[in-house]
Amino acid sequence: MSGGTVRIIIPPSWRTRIHRYRLTATKCRKCGVTLYPPASICRHCGSREIEQVELVNERARLLTWTVIYNVMEGFENRKPLIIGIVETVESKARILAPLTDVLPNELRQGMLMEPVVRRVREEGEAGLIHYGVAFRPVLVTETSKTS
Amino acid sequence: MLPEERVGIVGWGVYIPRWRLNLKEIAEIWGFSPEQPRELGVSEKSVAGIDEDAVTMGIEAARNALLRAGINPREIGAVWFGTESKPYAVKPSATIVAEAIGATPHAMATDWEFACRAASEAIRASIGVVASGLVKYTLVIGSDTAQANPGDVLEFTASSAATALIIGNRENSAAYFEASATYITDTPDFWRRDHSKYPLHGEAFTGEPSYFKHIVGAVKALFEKTGLKPEDFDYAVFHQPNGTFPLRVARMLGFPKEKVSPGLVTPYIGNSYNSSALIGLARVLELAKPGQRILLAPFGSGAGSDAYSIVVSDKIEERKYNAPTVDDYLKRKHVISYSLYAKYRGLIYRVE
Repeated sequence: MSGGTVRIIIPPSWRTRIHRYRLTATKCRKCGVTLYPPASICRHCGSREIEQVELVNERARLLTWTVIYNVMEGFENRKPLIIGIVETVESKARILAPLTDVLPNELRQGMLMEPVVRRVREEGEAGLIHYGVAFRPVLVTETSKTS
Repeated sequence: MLPEERVGIVGWGVYIPRWRLNLKEIAEIWGFSPEQPRELGVSEKSVAGIDEDAVTMGIEAARNALLRAGINPREIGAVWFGTESKPYAVKPSATIVAEAIGATPHAMATDWEFACRAASEAIRASIGVVASGLVKYTLVIGSDTAQANPGDVLEFTASSAATALIIGNRENSAAYFEASATYITDTPDFWRRDHSKYPLHGEAFTGEPSYFKHIVGAVKALFEKTGLKPEDFDYAVFHQPNGTFPLRVARMLGFPKEKVSPGLVTPYIGNSYNSSALIGLARVLELAKPGQRILLAPFGSGAGSDAYSIVVSDKIEERKYNAPTVDDYLKRKHVISYSLYAKYRGLIYRVE
């Protein structure tokens, strides 16, 4: 339920839905780097030999974060907005994403996080809802739900 | 052999938001007796966060069900989403879930509506399409961010949670169906008109002529069909609009409290509508042993109930811990104020 007047442009929102929902990334066959969002050319070594991988069942470590009180238009209801960079445990992909289900004072560097799908933004009450990935502290530390 | 006997629950998964509201706050703000929460048998309710809705909760429950089922999502032939809190009035929630779990593009997908019983109708339909061989697996989701007018007695219980079931052939199931029965009539106990923000209800009408009559009707029809008696069941899970109705309907049918309590989740999180009975079933599956028999009886206003006889198979143990359990989600909680709950659920908002 965030109000606001964020404008959602349909084609890019639609084109990016798979990697937003399923955390699909690209892995370079040459240098092994995993990139998110996916890229057609490896930003690390320039190779075009890349494959798609899904990171949705991987856990990640929290590298850094910031708590935003001066949000852009359309995000007023979500203050304070927490944005972080996480690194997936196995594939070492670094992902910039909102952090959710957590209070700012509960965040610790290196804490284990897991990806979830959340409402990232929406165009007022009548427009589109843009769903995307967010990370939250892992629900259970010991379970077979590991990467 | 009944069609039901060829079909079972291959995997299940739930989701409960982290945020909880202590119901004492509702009593205090809206001037109810401080005893009201105790009389309803509910202490706290789960509240979906500002970035959550029935779709996001349904996706997490579905992912947990997939982890337990261990199947390829492309084998799911139908994604059926039962809710009365669709984020879009027109545009299926089911396609968003199907895309998020990787079940597109060759699956049927639709949203079902029958108040709190929509997902249960989808379970009955799943039995049909799986038994006939039309599809290999269906994914049924009951997910709601239940709405209630502030100050309405409904506000004490209207909560948020989701449960997902993957239904397939008996051979690969953690629990299989034996039989099912339905009981429906046109009963105006609870409704929400197009464009109304909150539902209305017929006060006392929600009990005897609705909840009790329909659940008793469905369960008795199941007993007649199968010859089973309350003594034959190890657990009974009913729709749980509050903490007291399920115990009362159990007494009416001859089930002792001990068979109902394990599946009672509403006292801790409130009534999660389409997930209400199903999250109780999930909790029971996480406790049950092979060979045990479960009665499941969801209810939806308008009104109708289904009764299912379900037998736990020896595959239950290997599936239980492949995803977070109901108790894992119950333990993950943080109590918030009424004001924050009001903001999260859109009861207060900024004028743009």
